[in-house]
Amino acid sequence: MTTLDNINNWFIQNFGAITIEQVKGWFIYNPDEKLLFNTGLFLGLFLVFYFVYGFLRKTFYLRLTYVILFSLFFYYKSSGVYFLLLLLSSVVDYGLSQIIYKETKDSTRKIYLVISVILNLGLLGYFKYMNFMIGTYNDMFNGHFKFHDIFLPVGISFYTFQSMSYIIEIYREEIKPTKNYIEYLFFVSFFPQLVAGPIVRAKDFLPQIYQKLNLTRQDVNNGLFLIIGGLIKKTVISNYISVNFVDRVFDTPMNYTSFENLMASYGYAIQIYCDFSGYSDMAIGIALLLGFKLPANFRTPYKSTSITDFWRRWHISLSTWLKDFLYISIGGNREGSFAGFLFPSLFFFGLLLWGITSYNTSIIPLIIAFSSIALFCLSFLLSSKRKQTLVTNFNLFTTMLLGGLWHGAGAQFIVWGALHGLALAVHKIFMEFFPSKKEGSNFLWRFFSIVITFHFVVFCWIFFRARDFETALQVINNIGQLTFEPENWKAIIIGYKNVFGLMLFGYVWHFLPETFTNGMKSVFDKTPILVKAIILGFVYWIVYATAVAGSQPFIYFQF
Amino acid sequence: MNTKSYFFKSFAIVALAFFAFIGFKQVLPNKIFSDSKVDSKNVLIDSLLLESVAKDSLSLKSDSIEESERRLGQQKIVYDASQGIEFPSETFDNYKGYQYLISFYEKLYQLEQNPQNHVRIAYYGDSMTDGDLIVQDVRMNYQERFGGNGVGFVSIISESSASRGSVKTLFSKNWKIQSYLNVKRPISPFGVNGHVFFANDKTNATWVQYEAGLNKYSTSLNNPTLFYGKASKKGNVDFIIGKDTLHKSLTPNNLVNSLKVTSGSVKSFKANFIHADSIPIYGFNFDNGSGIHVDNFSQRGNSGLPISMFDANVMQAFNNNLKYDLIILHYGTNVLNYGTKNYFWYEKGMTKTVNKIKESFPGVSILIVSTADKSTKYDLEMKTDSAVVPLMKAQKKYALETESGFVNLYTLMGGDGSMVKWVDESPAKANKDYTHFNQRGAKAIGNLLYSQLNQGYEQYKVLREKREAGVKPKAIRKPKADSVSVKKDSVNE
Repeated sequence: MTTLDNINNWFIQNFGAITIEQVKGWFIYNPDEKLLFNTGLFLGLFLVFYFVYGFLRKTFYLRLTYVILFSLFFYYKSSGVYFLLLLLSSVVDYGLSQIIYKETKDSTRKIYLVISVILNLGLLGYFKYMNFMIGTYNDMFNGHFKFHDIFLPVGISFYTFQSMSYIIEIYREEIKPTKNYIEYLFFVSFFPQLVAGPIVRAKDFLPQIYQKLNLTRQDVNNGLFLIIGGLIKKTVISNYISVNFVDRVFDTPMNYTSFENLMASYGYAIQIYCDFSGYSDMAIGIALLLGFKLPANFRTPYKSTSITDFWRRWHISLSTWLKDFLYISIGGNREGSFAGFLFPSLFFFGLLLWGITSYNTSIIPLIIAFSSIALFCLSFLLSSKRKQTLVTNFNLFTTMLLGGLWHGAGAQFIVWGALHGLALAVHKIFMEFFPSKKEGSNFLWRFFSIVITFHFVVFCWIFFRARDFETALQVINNIGQLTFEPENWKAIIIGYKNVFGLMLFGYVWHFLPETFTNGMKSVFDKTPILVKAIILGFVYWIVYATAVAGSQPFIYFQF
Repeated sequence: MNTKSYFFKSFAIVALAFFAFIGFKQVLPNKIFSDSKVDSKNVLIDSLLLESVAKDSLSLKSDSIEESERRLGQQKIVYDASQGIEFPSETFDNYKGYQYLISFYEKLYQLEQNPQNHVRIAYYGDSMTDGDLIVQDVRMNYQERFGGNGVGFVSIISESSASRGSVKTLFSKNWKIQSYLNVKRPISPFGVNGHVFFANDKTNATWVQYEAGLNKYSTSLNNPTLFYGKASKKGNVDFIIGKDTLHKSLTPNNLVNSLKVTSGSVKSFKANFIHADSIPIYGFNFDNGSGIHVDNFSQRGNSGLPISMFDANVMQAFNNNLKYDLIILHYGTNVLNYGTKNYFWYEKGMTKTVNKIKESFPGVSILIVSTADKSTKYDLEMKTDSAVVPLMKAQKKYALETESGFVNLYTLMGGDGSMVKWVDESPAKANKDYTHFNQRGAKAIGNLLYSQLNQGYEQYKVLREKREAGVKPKAIRKPKADSVSVKKDSVNE
């Protein structure tokens, strides 16, 4: 009895007494507490789930069903009743894909494909873009439509794209459909990548379902290493600097000094990278522990030597998806299409309209509008293969505009996409004129290219992060007034030493040579199981200790 | 390779890690990032506050305070009639103190009867009201109802000039600035705004330029008037309006002097100070002469204590010119972060402040606005900081003791845990520092504040009517006729 009491006391000491209310809370949807990989609740649930999973490894449908149920529960914990939407759309998509597969007439197949695309994009459009469209309409035509009270189901952008890839790949006869609905639902709802990617392609994932489930020591090493890195990136670096510094500056940029604005911009660049790639890494790592290999999503993107290079390293699963299903669908580098010309034309028309309407207050918008149009035109007019480059650039620009909009419903995301689209076009023409400047030719040039690319990307992030266009301009204006005052900078750095320390850590980690990280990895691989567990446990503790760290009180500097 | 068992090895690692975590949690410290104190040299925080906190660090809080607090909460506050008006009694818990705003309400009443009158409010605050947040909304509400145009008195410059939308300020970087926040003995006394400015750069021009903002009722700069102090030497100033330049001389004979830039309203102008190096310069006033005007005297990092250093003679001179009817003191944010929950020292200090205000602006009504809710992380959760309620109570106490009106911003915005809601709400109403409001939130606060003040005013009007009815006890109940007689009676009061 005494030992039981002891255990009980020990338990209460460490975890507090557990009430029925609390237990209920673990299983019931709570909009304020999403089930993220970096929460203690996920760890607890995963441990139980994983234990049973190990026993089911030799079964097939039982295992699939078991994972599906956990995935649906996982989704229910993040989005409540909207897990039904996931089920519904998967049923419809599965049905349509079966029809497309069995149908032999090309035109009929195409009709069904169009129906499925419209349905998927329609759902995504309603949940994600309805209010944005209403707002834009009201602004432009003085309309008075009421906003809808719409809940944005978590991960809808991701799983919609994933189901679309399945159908399009079947239409293109790149894959065969799954044998039944269960297998399909397993692919769509697989919880590691369900809410934040990577966007897994049917042709990469489906074959793995049918393979004998196998987990090697190397897989586990890779998985744990990714999870450890992901936890640190997401919960330590990203969360801490956003709450304690970046968010505050972007809330009211004019209340902070130029230096703080500049550092917040650099801070956001490392924050969004750590947030996004950290979560992806955890997803890939967890999938690995379950015996599934998901594609890498980020490859140290700020080491890119050009903007083209950047898009091969940043959110790879999205950019390849956009390339394969959007860019190529609207003509790629082969031919122009209505859609390919429509969106860039609309964008530039809007830009021109903005320039003209604000001409009375400032001429700058008009200059920006004209020069960006001129820049875009020059990017193909100067080319030797003018016609082909024109088509390519229009299609590319469309892809970037819509890719920007995918990230969120707001004009600033479109601007962000447009900036990247323009830069890609400019880089292309630059490469045509200076083909010798290939990557990696000499150290100084390489260094220079990385610095330029990085700063362009940071500049674009300002639009991505700012609440609205006006705030973005405030941040940029404020940074523009930066003067060299090392004494003041020092005071600010000391004032925010935790934040700046973490930022530095994040950047140093990011720019470490690959050989170094590989070395670390191979040391980790060689350690015995117990040491790995201790390392992982220590990382849990770091995550916990950062999470309980009080937020830094606000500071106003005076100089 | 033995693939069979690797699932369980993998499970074992994750599970063992969990126990390792428990172990680490017991051995290692609780927090990874210390909540470090910042060197106050470059940080805006008032020096009086730091001194008071240092002095107070020895005193301890006793349990008996809580008991007496509870008794105090239920205690009835009964008012003596002033000018024949007596607001109903209230408890300390719900204290609003409309009774002490009677003179202000009466002035509002007069203004409502005669739109040519004018009423003036000074709104002293900290970073919560930076950039004219909150105050511009209070101003807009009042001007909407009672008339009046203009943003009121504007300091030459402030840290928040750039973020202020209600009037845009551009300025040369060579102004010498002294603030009551961290200067004890200024070269010349502080102005009503708590600052004094000097244009003492002899080689480069010292200038400031104002442009009207877009807010309703302040889309132009009305009757811009310069305020400056006493000095031994004269100086000059050039006002540049469009293409015209007006040369004017500054004659610093009185404690406070004013100089009209131009009559009527302009969109923007620039003031260029020449040979004015010893003259204390305070700011510009923008008002159309009638209706209601609200001056924003915000200062980041201010606890409110520095007001007690005001030079009463200078303030009286300002008051003769600007004629204040209500002084609002909105502070507290900057005294929340010192780990203390005993605010007796602050009560004492702020009582001094309020007394200084009374001395400086004789007969003025005073309104204390309490701290808003502010959240701090406790374990993993953001909750209302444990210092908020004690501070709010202390503020209520000195409001009552100094016979000032009181706005409990903490309960007004929703009480316990409300800041977390305001931050998390979509669209958000407060910033991620869980302390400051954004534009949207400030508007909401401004409206809440106005509506409480206005509630008191409406109640005042009812009581006033009753008083008039009381004069003629047998009068037939005919409210309209009564209020006409009120008009006549009160003009000469």
